[in-house]
Amino acid sequence: MSAESNKLLIDIGSTYFKVSTSNSIEQHFRDFNRTILDDLTQKCGDTVQRYDQSDVHICSSANGGLSTLIIGLTQSYSLKYATNIAYNSGINIIDSIVFQDIETYSVPSDLIDVVIVVGGIDSNSGLFDERLDNYLAKLNYSNFVFVGNEPDAQAIKSRIDNVTLLPNIIDNRLHIVETHLKDYLTNLYQQDIEGKEDIKHLYKITSNQIYSTPYVVNKSLPLINASFSVTDPFILLDIGGATTDVHYSKDLLTDNIVTEQGHDRIVFKKLGVYKSRQSLIFTAENNEFSYELLMHLKVTENIYNENSEKATKILMQLAIFLVLCKMSHYRPAYVTLKLLAMNSIVFTGGITKVLTTEDIEDVVAFFYRKILNSEHKPATVLDNNYDIWTLGAKEHAACQ
Amino acid sequence: MKIVTGVIGNDIHVVANRLMDLSLNARGYEVFNLGVNTYLEEFFDASVETGADVLLISSLNGEAEGWARDVKPLMSRYNSLDNLVMMIGGNLTVGSGSATDIIPRYQKYGFDLVCHQVDLNTGLDMLEDYLKEHKTS
Amino acid sequence: MSQLQEERDIILGNENVDSFDFDEVREFVRGADKNLFISHAFANRDKMLVQPRGGFPTYEKQYALYEFFVDANVDVLPLTIDSNTRLNDYATAKKMLRLSEANEVDMLNGYPLVNHGYRTTRKMMTHFNHPVSLRHGTPDARLLIEIAIASGIFEIEGGPITYLLPYSKNFPLDKAFLYWKYVERVCADYSTLNLPINRESFGPLTATLVPPSITIVIQLLEMLLSLEEGVKSFSVSFSQQGSMIQDIVTGKVTRALAKHYAKEIGCEDADIHLVYHQWMGAFPTNRDSADQLINMSTVIASMVGADKIITKTREEAVGIPTKEANAQTVANTQYTLNILSGLPAISDEQEEEILTAEVHAIMEAVFNDPADTLWRKVFNSIKNGVIDVPFSPHIINHNKMITIRDSNKNIRIIERGNVPIPDHCYQYERSCCDLDKDTTDIVNDIIHDIGIMQ
Repeated sequence: MSAESNKLLIDIGSTYFKVSTSNSIEQHFRDFNRTILDDLTQKCGDTVQRYDQSDVHICSSANGGLSTLIIGLTQSYSLKYATNIAYNSGINIIDSIVFQDIETYSVPSDLIDVVIVVGGIDSNSGLFDERLDNYLAKLNYSNFVFVGNEPDAQAIKSRIDNVTLLPNIIDNRLHIVETHLKDYLTNLYQQDIEGKEDIKHLYKITSNQIYSTPYVVNKSLPLINASFSVTDPFILLDIGGATTDVHYSKDLLTDNIVTEQGHDRIVFKKLGVYKSRQSLIFTAENNEFSYELLMHLKVTENIYNENSEKATKILMQLAIFLVLCKMSHYRPAYVTLKLLAMNSIVFTGGITKVLTTEDIEDVVAFFYRKILNSEHKPATVLDNNYDIWTLGAKEHAACQ
Repeated sequence: MKIVTGVIGNDIHVVANRLMDLSLNARGYEVFNLGVNTYLEEFFDASVETGADVLLISSLNGEAEGWARDVKPLMSRYNSLDNLVMMIGGNLTVGSGSATDIIPRYQKYGFDLVCHQVDLNTGLDMLEDYLKEHKTS
Repeated sequence: MSQLQEERDIILGNENVDSFDFDEVREFVRGADKNLFISHAFANRDKMLVQPRGGFPTYEKQYALYEFFVDANVDVLPLTIDSNTRLNDYATAKKMLRLSEANEVDMLNGYPLVNHGYRTTRKMMTHFNHPVSLRHGTPDARLLIEIAIASGIFEIEGGPITYLLPYSKNFPLDKAFLYWKYVERVCADYSTLNLPINRESFGPLTATLVPPSITIVIQLLEMLLSLEEGVKSFSVSFSQQGSMIQDIVTGKVTRALAKHYAKEIGCEDADIHLVYHQWMGAFPTNRDSADQLINMSTVIASMVGADKIITKTREEAVGIPTKEANAQTVANTQYTLNILSGLPAISDEQEEEILTAEVHAIMEAVFNDPADTLWRKVFNSIKNGVIDVPFSPHIINHNKMITIRDSNKNIRIIERGNVPIPDHCYQYERSCCDLDKDTTDIVNDIIHDIGIMQ
């Protein structure tokens, strides 16, 4: 037996946690009245006990990730590049501000985990005046990183305390430079996970570092064909309790950006079927096709008020439809994907335990017919054994 | 002197674009070439990011009328582009049209310098003259 | 089921494909007439093969074009694909095909092969019973080449670099490499059933002052990427450059190094062919001058010793050529080839040495990239500017190399950018040119050099 088969892999989500050994995988609803460790010990204590601390690998998306505010000079360069890097670093919550209009934005009252300021190539300077200082003075934040032009970095360091300076993410050809900011955010995210009370306890059962789930999933994408028949270009949807994660092949997007990896990630932060249930329903009520979709699924809007298995199922189908809408020209968000070119659509996470392939294909076909007027039918793949997560976790464990 | 240039819209005249790049470099400008198929917003954003003095948009396939009206409204949203010298060159209309009609029209759209079917070097000489004139004034 | 087969099932499950019958297609390829294979024509040829260009939207017009070509004694038929299909937009291609069929006006600039389908197209291909070459320009040609081979088209042009850098601004290059890997594997697989499917690289690239060292390196790399997947018949190509001696040297070095590098990876059993494109740059608008240029190209192709020539037409500067003009070039080219004889053997050792050293140096830099696979080494090399294609619109291309013509119209590198041209070669290239001029004059020379044939 290879070394990896002796490992125990645990993923903590906002709604479920799952535990995978070489020959079994179990999934449990979380009991929010207990700490994660207690809950885990209660439900799978026997399994956990069989493993040595060094063979237990844990990842988590339970804390929702870091909240991020990006202040950038322009939409097409600084904000686009920083947002791309932040999503690919596993960050979920991103708000952005165009610097010239900074005074018109309200100051969020919640604590921001990290503020990213970016803009200008290195031969430009003097771009961030005291309006930045004034805004930051009112803002409640934990970390501040500057990834803009070099001359301004020095000026800002002298004016604002506790700033982290990293190399410019925009080079002199106006291309993106990913590494430094990506490493910084990934590390910050790790520290954040480790710092959470709930997660800290988990170090009693593992001697390995606890990683963020998006980071682990990202690791597995280049290896995805080892477990599934997935054909590029594809998207991978993880519709969770609080957020929906999407990883997509770069060629689904026509964009003037040369990045390192074959897939990019985006998150719809208020699209989920448990914690974000209300905002999901709100989004559905504002989509003119939802009503038709409900009719097609043979239910009425009353389903929104029900708390049944059936209601969960319908909400998940709605979520699939709404996410596809958000990525199409119909409801353009951060990206508009060429969904007619998509060959495969992969689903992972809790949804695969609730919906069948037929349920999913039905709503995907509805989307293509109604929104894109097409009979296009991407191959549907259900990762109902959490292989994608296991692949990434194994890959990571093997490297350690 | 920094200059942002490129070919706008659904236009693939890459040879003309590269020659523009080489010519501007030869004349000593610091050139930021956005290439072919560039959107109007990208031009303005690149001007902001680089701190450009001049924005030189090429349009060679006669489609300029289609987007030129958007220049002023879009540009008015930027606070830092007031001193940007706006230049356009290429084939600015489909079919025939005289420069006497075309130039004032494009000036109204927001361009300081308009070169309709003017050869590359003449156009760049015009730019140099314009910059000299406006430096002293 | 193999991973490739699973991927093929998904690709061919596309809603624009009318039930693809894998077994039937394999049977068809296995039993296909030898005359459909260009690899057969190469093996049995006694002269240079002549292939025109051309594609029309409707079946009828394509059929009529082929009739003209066959009457003009064509050796290899072309099938040029429309630009919607090249961008995988089959829905628009379908709409435009319907309009073209209904209105006698061509709404597409080529043959929408996926929409016509293989059952229909195969009837045309087997009727004419000539080798057919697929010409497209598609970064993701997976579906297209499946339909092509099923139709009886056994030569596939293109490659991840040559079909991307000249045409696209932002299609991700790393994806193009993976999609072309599929193409190579499918070609290799079908090649085991009958005669080999031939793959051909597209050497002209941007057809604008591309120096021979860059052209050859890209030809060799696409050849290696193809052979390593099991392809057994491959054509390297380049287009007329403007100086006869430079073409002759390029042909010689390309042939020698193709053999050398194929052997390096243990693929010396593959058949390698050399293809020459008539002038691909800006054409004279005067039709008579265009004819003279075409004729001169044919003579140079003979001096180069090409295995196949791809022709242009006298209407090149005007638009999509008519079938009459296209067929006329075929007849003229065949005539010239028939009467040309007693060609002298010409060589220039110094030029050969310089060019060989340049190609070796760039290839070595590519192989030295730390990536684990050849495609990723090539990808990184393009990203780093070790390979730099003049006049490419793609954002990944460096655009730092500057080339110009010397007094004999040879293309010379006067600015190498990040391309590892060895110092002595670089000095030689620069010494051939008059660089004491003002930089604006040099730019004017470049403008002139692009339009030398006009």
